[in-house]
This record gives sequence, structure tokens and C-alpha cells, in this order.
Amino acid sequence: MSATTTDHGHDDHHHNPNFIQKYIFSTDHKTIGIQYGIVSLLFIALAFYLMMVMRWSIAYPHEPLPEWMSWVFSEEWRGRWLQDGKVTGETYNMFGAMHGTIMVFLGVVPLGFAAFGNYVMPLQIGAPDMAFPKLNMMSFWLYFVGGAIMVGSFFLESGAAKSGWTNYPPLAQIADAKFVNQWFTGQTQWLLGMVFLISSSLLGSVNFIVTLVNLRAPGMTWFRMPFFCWAMLVVAFLLLLAFPPLEVAAIMQLVDRFTGSSFFMPTGLYTSASGALDVAGGGSPLLYQHLFWFLGHPEVYVLLLPAIACVAEIIPVNTRKPLWGYRSMVWGVMVLGFLSFIVWAHHMYLTGMGPMVSSFFQVTTVLISVPSVILLTSMIISLWGGSIRFNQPMMWAAAFLPMFGIGGLTGLPLAFNLADIHLHDTYYVIGHFHYVVAPGILFGLFAGIYHWYPKATGRHMSNILGHLHFWPSLVFINLVFFPMLIQGMAGFHRRWYNGGDAYLEKSVDGTNVFGQTVAEFIDLNVLMSTSVWCLAAAQVPFIINFFTSFFIGKKVENDNPYDATTLEWNTPTPPGHGNFVTEPEVYRGPYEYSRPDYNEDYYPQWVAPKVEITEEEVVTVKSERTAH
Amino acid sequence: MNEKILDEIPYIVTPRKDTGLTNSKIGIWLFLASEVMLFGGLFSGYIFLRVYADYPWPERVLPIVPGLLNTFILILSSVTVVFAWAMLKLRKWNMFLLFMGTTIACAAIFMAFKVVEYKAKFSHQGVRLEDYTILEGHVHKGAVDSQGHIYHLDDNGNPAKHHADENHSKSEKGGAEGKMVYQKTSIDQIVFDTKDISFDLKMFNDGYVNDLLTQAESLRAQITFDKDIKYTTSPDSLPIVVAKAGEPVTLKALKEAKALWKKTIANNGAVRTEELRRQWRVAKHDNPDAPNWQNAQNIKMDMDAIRPNLVASKSVVTAKVEPHVAFLLDPKTTNASAKSAKRKDSTLMSGNLIDSSMELGIDGVDFTFLVQRAEEKGIDPESAIEKSWILKNNPQVRAYWEKHKEYIAELDKKLLDDADGDIIKAEKAHHLERYKMTWKEMVRYGSEGETDLQWFNGFAGPNHKKEEWAKHFPDVSLPREQIAFESKFTPRWNNYYAIYFTITGLHGLHIIGGAIVLGYYMFCPNMFRKNPDWLANRVEVAGLFWHFVDLVWIFLFPILYLM
Amino acid sequence: MAGDSPAEIKKALKFYGLIGAILFIGTITTVAVAVVPWMDVGARGFSTGDLILGLLIASVKASLVMYIFMHLNHEKKLIYLFYGMAGFFALCLFFITRMAFEDPIHYSGFGHGEPVIEEKVEKH
Repeated sequence: MSATTTDHGHDDHHHNPNFIQKYIFSTDHKTIGIQYGIVSLLFIALAFYLMMVMRWSIAYPHEPLPEWMSWVFSEEWRGRWLQDGKVTGETYNMFGAMHGTIMVFLGVVPLGFAAFGNYVMPLQIGAPDMAFPKLNMMSFWLYFVGGAIMVGSFFLESGAAKSGWTNYPPLAQIADAKFVNQWFTGQTQWLLGMVFLISSSLLGSVNFIVTLVNLRAPGMTWFRMPFFCWAMLVVAFLLLLAFPPLEVAAIMQLVDRFTGSSFFMPTGLYTSASGALDVAGGGSPLLYQHLFWFLGHPEVYVLLLPAIACVAEIIPVNTRKPLWGYRSMVWGVMVLGFLSFIVWAHHMYLTGMGPMVSSFFQVTTVLISVPSVILLTSMIISLWGGSIRFNQPMMWAAAFLPMFGIGGLTGLPLAFNLADIHLHDTYYVIGHFHYVVAPGILFGLFAGIYHWYPKATGRHMSNILGHLHFWPSLVFINLVFFPMLIQGMAGFHRRWYNGGDAYLEKSVDGTNVFGQTVAEFIDLNVLMSTSVWCLAAAQVPFIINFFTSFFIGKKVENDNPYDATTLEWNTPTPPGHGNFVTEPEVYRGPYEYSRPDYNEDYYPQWVAPKVEITEEEVVTVKSERTAH
Repeated sequence: MNEKILDEIPYIVTPRKDTGLTNSKIGIWLFLASEVMLFGGLFSGYIFLRVYADYPWPERVLPIVPGLLNTFILILSSVTVVFAWAMLKLRKWNMFLLFMGTTIACAAIFMAFKVVEYKAKFSHQGVRLEDYTILEGHVHKGAVDSQGHIYHLDDNGNPAKHHADENHSKSEKGGAEGKMVYQKTSIDQIVFDTKDISFDLKMFNDGYVNDLLTQAESLRAQITFDKDIKYTTSPDSLPIVVAKAGEPVTLKALKEAKALWKKTIANNGAVRTEELRRQWRVAKHDNPDAPNWQNAQNIKMDMDAIRPNLVASKSVVTAKVEPHVAFLLDPKTTNASAKSAKRKDSTLMSGNLIDSSMELGIDGVDFTFLVQRAEEKGIDPESAIEKSWILKNNPQVRAYWEKHKEYIAELDKKLLDDADGDIIKAEKAHHLERYKMTWKEMVRYGSEGETDLQWFNGFAGPNHKKEEWAKHFPDVSLPREQIAFESKFTPRWNNYYAIYFTITGLHGLHIIGGAIVLGYYMFCPNMFRKNPDWLANRVEVAGLFWHFVDLVWIFLFPILYLM
Repeated sequence: MAGDSPAEIKKALKFYGLIGAILFIGTITTVAVAVVPWMDVGARGFSTGDLILGLLIASVKASLVMYIFMHLNHEKKLIYLFYGMAGFFALCLFFITRMAFEDPIHYSGFGHGEPVIEEKVEKH
């Protein structure tokens, strides 16, 4: 009996699926992509809220949290997590750790890789679905469970994890250790959640690679794949090979928590709360850091590449020009993926690694900027001489380029171990990677949302609301992050929950020089925090736009509203099950815009050449044209 | 299968032409690639921890026989799984069942051996003394009565009088032996004669509270609240009484008190927040241009104004034990001093700490850590060993050690002879032989060479229960202040065992998972009839996973058992 | 897949049996090297010699399993690429172990004769 079900397992989607099969436990890559997208946007909103609370604490450490933020808390929670209404250091740490975790692992990666990858990639290569649809569904639900575990931990007695998004031991292991029931502590739940998320992305990445290798449509050779698919391939490999070491680290830390072992606990550890710890000792906190950053650095590119990929798709469509240097971008992204595995220790310059190791990682870190610059430069050159259509996606994509540029360039001083000694763990680091992630990656992903929304829903998003979203976001996001670079160079530490207030030197002629520096730059906190509230307000038009356009947006005129060339625009709008009406066949590269030998300014991949034209004929046609 | 439907996933059974691969084949190899990274991470963690270790890394401490048998079993299963696949290709269903069944049986035997090995370690006690001597052994079982006297168990499992406690029991017990109330336990617990207990409402743990209540019940004592437990949750409401003084402590009452206490916290928090907000409004109104940090200096809450709105919120509930009896507390989760003991859930017990030594039957003495520490300090290792607590206080261990030194001297001499008297060429006894007595050596020394241990004796480690040779293991009573660190041979004992359990545990999970998938195919005769190639593909793919699991073990065995 | 014809598969079966036997012998050799005194290589007890020999035998066994049982001998280039990548990045991962020596708070312990790194640095 079981054999019969497996026998027909693959084609049960011929039956008419009911509501739950169609929208909840769907095996269709498009539905799963949209599920990922919506859930991850919700997680991003949650993490944004956590950050607003933190920014309040930084700018106004002595003032109670205002009602418009604290209404989320239940009365009991306010008693537990706020002190006289003020954010406590513990609460700040908890929110900080969870802001990072949720943004990275539950927000941006699922949005960029899982949502866009799932929705767009099979369409672009002309596949009917992902190679393993059920596995695809399972990865979404594993992600969902992992996310639920993470968020659920807020409601525990111990609160959620509070040792930074990196969860460094021994701090992370001592935190919450006082609770008898280790299962229900935030730190443990964080690790469990991570194990789920890692399993989810492992399944996802296997699925992506198999799909890209085996399900490409006839004629879709490797170098006819859009850059987006190449980026997804590299990201999938990064996830596949870099995540297991973090899984190892998470499992080892779980073992430490549950059995009292000392993988990451050095000999002779002493805390003021419990004296000499009753553990065997002999472990190494650095082992955790190595395992974490072995994932951690590739993870940066897992975040980044989908955004670059979205922008790289949007630019050729809206400049009506081929993507400049497509091949060098493809090689660049592969080199980038490769190098990202051997740069991890640049996050650890201050752990006291020997100079030999430091120098090695300094060299590889500087090297990795080369492929990044190739990608960025190619996209900037692609703009050159194009007649740019500044529609919504293109505005976001255009803003991505300089924003990501700032993010990348501010990273260079951090690559050098000497400069890093000063800048490590300051707001400069925060400013740097947030420039990459927020105005960079998120802008790229917003561009993607605006770009593919018409394909997914059949309706355009509102242009006016788009402008209301874009311009304030661009202004305020810079007002949030640029002052961080200044504060960081002045020495503001990233983990001050009161924004430096404790170090402030109030008298003008005091001897505390650092306190005077703090006094000079502490007022920037208010500017940044105010900008954050404005930035939050600027997202309201997007939320309205996102949900209302589904019902009242302008309907798309045809299946290819942008006159684009890649295969996803050859599907019905929205694409049905199985994606394509006729089996797609691919005849040319992905970015054939403004070809001189073709009478329209775009030549889609799927359009069969009318007659076989030999190269000689092309030459004659050209010469005839010039003759006339 | 031949009709072309547009939304059907291609290349499930037949490989794609240009790549030459089916989907599942690529998928499983990718999955295995990530498994390489998973076990690679664990192995590099192992090497890291071993290289980094600031204590003597335990070498070759696991019994080899179970590991060796398990290696054979896994290799056999690897052969049978590939045979099973070949039988599907030859379309022989029954032979397939036979070979696949063998594979599953191998997996079951493998896991059974694992259980035996794990069990032996979970009951084996390790103790590190303050002078870094490491003792291995088994904790004796016994009984502790309500006064805290320790009794050994006689052959019927009843408490027999403890030699050290004879004087006490005579004076206090008199002829009341028959009515004695006691708890059976392993003799390694903290014995604490408790008069008062205070529970922390924020932290108390259900299991811990229940443990105390059941212990009290079995010792015929009662834990009662010594004050009324009442809370006023807001200034204008009436106090709610959870329990009156003298009522017995129950978990339910504590939980109710906790809920009310949380409400008092919430009330006070809200009142204070409101006052602080008011102060800030005033400050900003008076000083609109001052920076935030300047205003903060002038903020002071008007406590007199808000005091009427605050309610008492005490998080500690006190109770009495009547009559006072000796509780047994787990040393790992209790921080005990002479007059008080604090459990991990912040329950504070006050009374008297009673002698809480650990009774151990020793089956291994290891001075390597002591020697390492001595060498770090520039002390002669031999004299450091002579001064160790165990040699000074236990004549039997001392006698064994003398014999061990003789044995090592003989060994050194033999090695010198093997090198034809060339001191430079001659090797010396390895430091792990020199400074360590294993249980087999102790049996040899104890029985004067009479007992000859066979290879199967102590299959998974020393056994204290039935074996005739167990009588040679010396008994020792370790005072608690001599114990620096104690643990069963679990991951807690040291990082070698931690990584051993982690890697083999994960490997075991892979075995179970693989066996379930492979076993499932034995129940697919219909698929065999309809599409045998598809089934063969699936078995091949699952077989690839199975071989990988075998491959991991091939490395695990030498690394964990032989190095 | 070692050819699909019954005759070829039958031939392959014998080969698989042979490989299984070699694996058995390899295992016994590994144990013998570890526990039988006269087969002990290098210094007495566990030493670098034992380490190299033990891992060498294990690697040979692992290669046989991969090459024969896992049919890597008939596999496509793409699979080799995947495995090569995993192997390479696993090697990168093993670079972590090197860091154990580079950590200045590391105590170069008993029986692990690696020189302490700081001393080297101070000389220059």
C-alpha cells in the first residue's frame, strides 16, 4: 500500500488541491516563495521593532519607554523587563541579540535566498518546479518552526537569548545557566532554533543546486543562465558547505548546556555570581568563534548575493542594455564564493591570534574585495549610456549601488588588523555592516519586490506610494547609519545600552579625555534615533502599497510588462502550476537588449529565430544598412 | 511514465542526458558533501580540543573490543547493502529482503553495543581530588536515615550499620532500630540536616520542590509555612491569603504566591513608571533646550507621593521543617556550607551540614594530571605522588602502588635489555603506564597474579557487581572537601568524553535514520513490481548514505578507541 | 553503476565481497598496530608513528568504500566536483586546528611536544 502512494507520489499535484494543500502545505515553489517572503517580512518588522526599543534606550537612557512602543508589552512583562519603565541592560542585550538573529537568519536570508530564489529561479531556468517539491515544503516549515522557537523564547521566564547574535561562549553558556530547566531558557531555545534553521537551509540549498543542475530548460546552457541564477547557485553552495560547522558549534553548545561538558569552557573560569564554575574546564571559547565565523563570513555573502542578483536583473531591463561584463560577473561571483570560505578569522583579530595568522587573513580579506568590486563596477558601467526608465524597481536598484558602495568601502579599514584594533566592536563596525545590509541589501530586495510583484499578482504597485516609500527611506536610513561611522571612530562601543551616557564627562575642564570625546558626539544619538522613528513611518506606505495593490493595483497589460528577456516573463500572470504553458526552449543569452540586428529593443530568450541566420548574412545585413 | 506532462518533474528515474545524473543522485551527493563538512567540523573540533588540552588527554581508555566488533558489523552491513541493491538489479526480491534484513539487523546490533558501552560509562564514577589525583570507580549504594547517618546495604538490600557511625546510632537510636526511617541512595549526596527552608518565588523549580516534599514525607517530617503568605496586588484591593502559617507547603500554594507576587511587581512598576514620566514632563517643560543627559541629573522620583500606591512585594517565602531531618541534596546542584545550603533553584536551606563523604570502590588511579601539575611547578613527580592524599590515607591503594612501581621498574629493565643495554636507544615506560593504574592491573596486584582476566572480562569496562575479581577493588571514603570535581563518565567528565559522546551520538542518529529509510524499502514490493528501477535507484541513494555512515565510523574507530 | 547486465552485476558481487574482506583485514591491522607491542611503530605507546599509520589505513579503507561501494569509480565529473569542493573546504576547516597553537593563552601541555609560539616571535 505504501508502495502505491510512493509510486504516485510525484504526480499527486494533478489532483485538484484543497485550500490547505494549495496555500499552507503547498509544494509549489511559487507559493512557498511567497510564504517565505511574507513570513520573513514579518520577522524583519519584528526585528525593526526590537531595534526601535534599543534606539530609545541609547538616546534616552533615563526616560521610560514611551507608550507607543511599550504597549506591546503586557503588564507583567513591563514588571519583568523594564525598570521603572526604562529599558534595562538585560533587556537591551536580549533585544540586541534577537534583533541580529532575527534580521540575519529569519529575515534577510529567507527573503533574499528562499523567497526570491524559490519564486524566480525555477521560472528563469524554465523548470516546472523545484527538483524536490516536498523537500521544499519541508524546508519552509522547518524554517517556520525554527522561527517560532526563536520568537517563542521571548515568553519564557528567562527571556530570549541575550548574548549577542553570535552567541559567544563562555558568556552565552553562563547566561541562563541558573535556571534549573535548561530546555526552557532563551539561550537553549536559540540553539535549538538555529539547528532547525540550519537544517532548513541545508535542504533548501540541496534543492536549489539540483534544480539548477538538472532542470534547466532545453537550450538553457550554463552561460545562458541569468546572473540571478548564478548568484543563487553560489549562495546555495555557501549554505550547503558553510552551515554545517555552525550546526556543529550549536550542537556542541547544546551538549555543554545539557550535560555540563566544557567544549567552550576554559580551565579556571570564575564568575562573581557563582564563584569558580563547577565544570571540568580545558575547553576553548575560540573554537566556537572559529566554527561560528567559518559560517559567519560566507553568511555575509548569502545575505548580499541575492540583493546583487535582483539589482543585476533590474538594471538591464530598465536601461535597455545588456548587463555589462556578464561573464566576468559570473566568474567574479564564483571567486567571491570561494574566497569567502577563507577569510573568517578577520572577525577575530582581537582574540590574540598570532601575527602569521592575522596576516594571512588580512591578505585574503583584501583579496575578496576584488570580486566584490567587479560586481559593483559592472553594474555601474551597465548604467552608462542607457536610456534609463526610472520606475520603482529601478530607483531602488540605483540607490543600492552607492549605498552598497559605502558599505563596502567602509569595510576596508576593518580588513587591516592594525586599524581594526581601534575600530573593533565600535559603532564604526555597526555602521559598516548596516550600510551593507540595510540601505544595501534591503534596498536591493525592495527593488526585487517592486520588480516581480506584477508577475506574482498580475497588478502593479502604486507609483505614488512607492515614491513616498523610497525618498524618506533613502534620506533617513543615511541619517541613521552615517553618524554611526563618526561615533565609531570616536570610540563609541557597540554594546553600550545607554549610548555612552555612563562615560560622559560633564565638566569642560575634566581630565577624562575619552569622556569629553563622548560628550562631543553623544548628541548624534538623538538624531539617529529620531531618524529611526521617521524611517519606521516611511515603511507605512510600503505596507499599504503591498497589501492594497493586490486588490486595486493597475492590472498588467500583458505577461511581459517590462519588455524583458528572461524566461520568467514568458509565463502566464500569475504563473499557474507547472509554470509554463508550452515547454520553453532557450535560444540565446539572458540580456539581449537593443540588438542592432533585431527590430525590437529586446530579444527574449524564448523567441525562436525566424530563420537561421549565418554570420555572413548578418554582416551583409549590416553593410546594407550602412549603405542606405 | 512516457507521456510528457508539463508540470511533472523530469529526471526522477532516467538520468538527464547532458549531466548523466538523476535528481536524487545529485541531491544525495550534495547532502553527503554537507555531511563531510558536519563531521569535518566535529573532527577538527576534536583535534583542536586535543591539541589545546591543558590536562592529560585520555589515550586508549575505551575498551577496544566493542568498538572493533562494531566496526566489523558496519563493514558487513556496507557489503550487504550493496548486495541488496545488486539483487534488485537482478530482480530477486527475496534475496533483496535477505540482504536488506541483514543490514537492518547489523544496525540494530551496532546500536545495542552502543547502549552497552554508554551504560557502562554512565554508571562509572570519576573523581578529581584537590591534589589532581584522579580516581575512577563505582559509588557504593547505601541508606541515610533521618538523622543523617549513613548505612551500607547488607545482602538483602537492608541498611547495615556503618562502621564509622556506630557510636552515634547507639546513643541516639537505642532500641528503635526497627522503626528507623531512611532513604536509599548512592553514597555521594550532600546530607544536610535542615531546620528552615526559604523558597525563591522567582526561581523555584517544580521538580526540586517536589523532591523536598517527597523526601520530607518519607522521613516522616513536614514542611510548613512559618508565616501567613498573603499579597495585596493593588493599593485599593484586599489582601489575598494563599496560605496561613503552619499550613503545609504545597507546590500549588507556591505557584499561587508566585502569580500574586508577579502582580505586585507589575503594580509597583506601573506606579513608578508613571511617576518617572511625570518627572520628565516637568523637567522638559522647565528646561526645553537642555540635552537629555543634563536633564537626567535633575530627575528624582517623589517617593512620598507614590508610596501609598505601592504594595509590598516579597519574593521569598519561608518555611519550617518539623521535626528537622536530614535531606539528601545533589552535590552538582547544591552549594553547601556548614550552616546553609543553596540549591540551584535558589531555595535556601539552613541547618547543619552532616559529613557527606563519597564512598567509592576504586578501579583506577591516575596520577598523570598530578604529575603534569607538579612538573609545571618544578616539583619532582615521584615525590608529589608520594605526598598525594590517596596514598597517605588508603593503605590498600598504597600497597598496589608499590607493586605498580615494581612492575614499571621491571618494564624499564626489560626495555633496556631489549635495547642491549644501550640507554640512549632504550625506551622508557610510557608516562601513561608509569603514572596510572588500570583496573586490570589492580586486579592483578590484588590477587597476586592469581586471577587471569580474559579478553571478554569487563567487556565495556570494570564491573563491580557479580564478578569474582571485583573484591580486589579498594574502598575509600572521600571527604567532600578533598573532591575538586566529580562526575560520572559522561560528557561532563572531560572533553574527551564530551567529544566521544557527541560524535558517536550523532553517528548513532545517522545509523538510526539510515536504517529506518533502508528498512522502509523492504515494505515496497508493489514498487518492485511496477517500477523496479526506481526502487533500485532509491536503494542506491539510501545506500550511498549508509556507506557514508560506515565511512565516518572507519575514521571514528581509530581516533576514539585507539589514539 | 557497474554496468546493468546481470552477468556484470554477478561479477561485481564477488568484487564487493573481496573489498569487504580487505576492509576486515585493514581493521584488524589497525588494532594490531595499536595493541600488539611488536607491531607498535614509533615510540612506545601512542605516538606520531601510530597516528600516521592508523589514519593511513583508515584513509585507504575509506577510499575503498567511496570508490567501490559508493560507485565513485563510475561517477560523473560533476559528483567529483561536489566532493572535491567539500574536501577542499573541509581542509580549510581543519585549518582551525592550527589556531589552537596560535592562541597565546594556550598551554603547551604534557606529551604534546609542539613548541610554544610566543618564544619564536620574541626572537625577532
